[in-house]
Order: sequence, then structure tokens, then C-alpha cells
Amino acid sequence: MAGAAVPTIAAAAKQIAAKQLSPVELTQACLDRVKALDGRLHAFVHLTEERALAEARAAEAAIMAGGPRGPLHGIPIGLKDIVDTKGIPTTCQSKILQDNIPDSDATCTEKLAAAGAVLIGKTTTHEFADGGPSFDLPKPPARNPWNTDHFTAGSSSGTGAGVAAGLILGGIGTDTGGSIRGPAALCGIAGIKPTYGLVSRAGVAPAAFSLDHIGPMAWTAEDCALMLQALAGHDPRDPASSDRPVPNYTASLGSGIKGLRIGVIHHFHEVDYKVSEGTQRGIDAAISTLREMGAEIREVQLSPLQDWQACGSLISITERASAYDEWARTRLGDFSERVQRRLMLGALVSGVDYVQAVRRRRELRAELKAAMAGLDIVVTAAAPAEAPKIDNVPVWDVFDRPSFTIPFNVAGYPAISICAGYGKGALPVAVQLVGKPFDEATVFRVADAFEKATPFRNTRPALD
Amino acid sequence: MPADISDQTLDFLLARAGLDLTPAQKAELKSVYAGIAAMAERVRKPRGIMAEPAHTYLFNEEDL
Repeated sequence: MAGAAVPTIAAAAKQIAAKQLSPVELTQACLDRVKALDGRLHAFVHLTEERALAEARAAEAAIMAGGPRGPLHGIPIGLKDIVDTKGIPTTCQSKILQDNIPDSDATCTEKLAAAGAVLIGKTTTHEFADGGPSFDLPKPPARNPWNTDHFTAGSSSGTGAGVAAGLILGGIGTDTGGSIRGPAALCGIAGIKPTYGLVSRAGVAPAAFSLDHIGPMAWTAEDCALMLQALAGHDPRDPASSDRPVPNYTASLGSGIKGLRIGVIHHFHEVDYKVSEGTQRGIDAAISTLREMGAEIREVQLSPLQDWQACGSLISITERASAYDEWARTRLGDFSERVQRRLMLGALVSGVDYVQAVRRRRELRAELKAAMAGLDIVVTAAAPAEAPKIDNVPVWDVFDRPSFTIPFNVAGYPAISICAGYGKGALPVAVQLVGKPFDEATVFRVADAFEKATPFRNTRPALD
Repeated sequence: MPADISDQTLDFLLARAGLDLTPAQKAELKSVYAGIAAMAERVRKPRGIMAEPAHTYLFNEEDL
């Protein structure tokens, strides 16, 4: 199967339901692509080939007997290697957990298995979802399928690369400050960080407890909606899990966006930190497209991006240092150099600094809530520029370059990154759409409408 | 919050955190201290004693 022939989840699900596509053949085709391409991409740290084919055969038999359980039945996926998988190595890309084989599944693993998804393998991550790219870990960092000299962003780097290259149709990422949306942006796919509490964090290695989110990454927003449908829901194993009823995320797809009110946080990407020319062109064109489709565009003003970055970073640094305190004290040298640097920072943040950041968080959340009162979604950049060279990624970018994604970890609001075209070096550029809490359906509605009105989903990386 | 940090203070903070760093790591950490200090200043606003922190939370109807 060539890259251009790799179907979306939505298309594959229809063909599988119509018995026109075999889950076994689809799974084998993905495995063949992994074998042909992953030596260059390093999207996987562990393949589960035999299990995948067994799951695909079981799916095929069940579908032939009684039809599919749902749209994920028989669909090949990958799981970021910080997600627990019973009986399958879960290393967090760390020397410290090289021999770790969990005895239970993460909740998201269970939910995807229950939906009938086929696990192809564990995807590459930055160590414990932090830092990166690192070249001093047991496995190399993932490479960008659009140009393998370039970075994928992280930390859900393998899922981003694997989806873009058509090695898998979808996968799980995690996002503490942008680790789903960053790789989605640089790899030219869709990735959503859902509302805090919507998808259980149970069984997933923490990065920063109050900022961590689990979410889907796929070629399209529609595919992310199909995956989120299976992932969302209350889980008593996660103390932050919401018990709100889960709506139908695909019900409003295709209904257009006429009359929706969209705010643009121009100052984030035009004043606070100027994005690249290619990214700016992509955002401007996306806003024009949304306006032409009938949306009402308004201006939104928030606190400077650097305020959100400071708040999120202080919380992230401190919660991470707390989570990994024992190993930092006893095995610091076993972490990659980049993660050692991140953990060292914890010593510089006082308890008062942390609580002031958490108090600032309440103020910033209130500010976003007020700004979105008359809006359906807001828009800004997802990444500052096209993917940099993989050997030219700054170590201390947390101080030099504010993140466009961390504001919505601080606020807990749902946010998706979708492809908005191609910039310098024919590398993808992206736009970020942010919804109100638990209103992922509107985020998907707008993202799906945009993707279907533009040609950017018609081109896959030229790898074959 | 001062934008630089003395060797003595850094050593104290590292000892309190239980981190055993090389001289090169200490020098690097010292070089980025101003970045942390700037972030700490940004979150330190005049907000009075009653301003509550946000922490792990759930959304209420009024948030929607």
C-alpha cells in the first residue's frame, strides 16, 4: 500500500463495514509500511506484530459474523510508549524503565481495545514525555516524514510521524504543554488535546499532573472525533475524571459553520511571539476560509502569551520534579541530558512560586472564559514555524520561545491542531482551534469543515 | 526576586532538593536562573489574600 492509498479511519471503517476492506490486509499493509519506512522514521520503539495480526484476524471474524462494533473495529493504531500495555514493554523511552512490562492496561488502552482497534506497537516519545530530541536514549528520536532531517516536535513524536507516514491510521498522544498539538502541527496531521478530565490519565506516566491530557492523533479531525468517542468517559481510577455524559462528536460534522462566532487571538502569534511567514500565511488563509464559509470573525485580547507560558512552565517544572523526585535524587545520570536539565530546574522554583502560579492559573482561566463568552471557538497558532532541523532544536526554549499551546493546558480547554498548508521547505504549517470546556463537538465541526474546504488532506509525505 | 543567584544559594537549593550535579551542570543551571526568576515575577500579581489557587478541578455548568 503506497502512502497515497492509506485510508482515513472514517474511510476504512466504511469499507470494513461494507466488507470491502479486510482488517487483516489493512493491518498487514501497515506492518509492511513500518518495515519499509521505520528504519528512517523511528516512529516505533516496540512492534507488536503477532498480536496485531491476531487482533486483526479476530476483528475480521467478528465483523464477518455480526458486523463491526464501531468505526475503530479492525483499525491499526499505535500507543505512545508512556501508556501502559499489559504484557507489552512500556519503557517511557528511558533507561530507567527498559525492563518495565506492566501487569495492567491504561484506561485508554482498554477503551481502544474494547472498540476493536488493532495495536501495531508502541510509538516513540521523548523520555517521560519531556525534553527531546535526545540522542542519548536507548532508541533514536522520531524523524519528520516530510523531511527526515527535520524534527517532529514532541513529545508524542512517534505517533505524529507514524500517522503522517501512514504506518498507522491513528494513535494516542499525551499533552502537558503541547505534546499532541506540536507533533500534529509539524507532521501535518490532526491532534486534539481534549478538555481536562474528559479522557482518563490512569495508567499513563505523568509529566505534570494538573496539566496532563490524553488524546487522539490522526490524519483528519473527523478521525480524531471517532477516536475520542471511544476514549472519553468517566474513570474512577483518575481523580480528575469528569462524570459528564459524553456527547456524539460526529453528529454535527458536515453541518457547516455558517453563523459560528470565531475569535482570533492575533496578538499571540503576531505581537507576543511572531510566527514564521509561512505559518502566518497559513493562519491568515485559514481565517479567510472560515469567514468565506460563513463564520463571524472577531478579535480576542488576552494576557500576553508570556504570562501563560510563565504560569504553565512553573507548574509543569514543579509537578514534574515532584513526580520524578525519587529517581532524580538517586538516578539522575540515568536520564537523558535534556531531561536532567528539566529536572534540575525544579530546585529553583519555591513553594510560593508554585502556588502563585496556581493562583495565576485561576485568573487566566477566568480571563479566557470571559473572552469566549460570546464566541464558539478561538484561533491562534499551533507552532511558531515549520519543523526545524532535528540537530538544531534549542535546549532551553522554555525561556526563549513561549508556547502557543500551553495556554490551553493552563486553562484545560479543548484545542486541536490541524494542517493549514505548507510553508518553507514544503513542510506543514498549522492552525490551532480552541473550544469551550467539553465542547469538542464544535471544535471538530469547524476543523472538519476547514479540512474538507481545503486541499491539504490530499497530500501525504513522499516516502515511498 | 533577584535575577541572579550566588553559588552558595544554588548549592543550598540543590542540597535541599537532593540533587547531585556536576560543576558544568551547576554552571548551566545558574545561567538560566534569570529565566525562572522572570517567570516567578510574572505570576506574582497584587491579588490580595483571598485569591484562591486553581488546582485539579472539574468544570461546572457555569463554565460552559
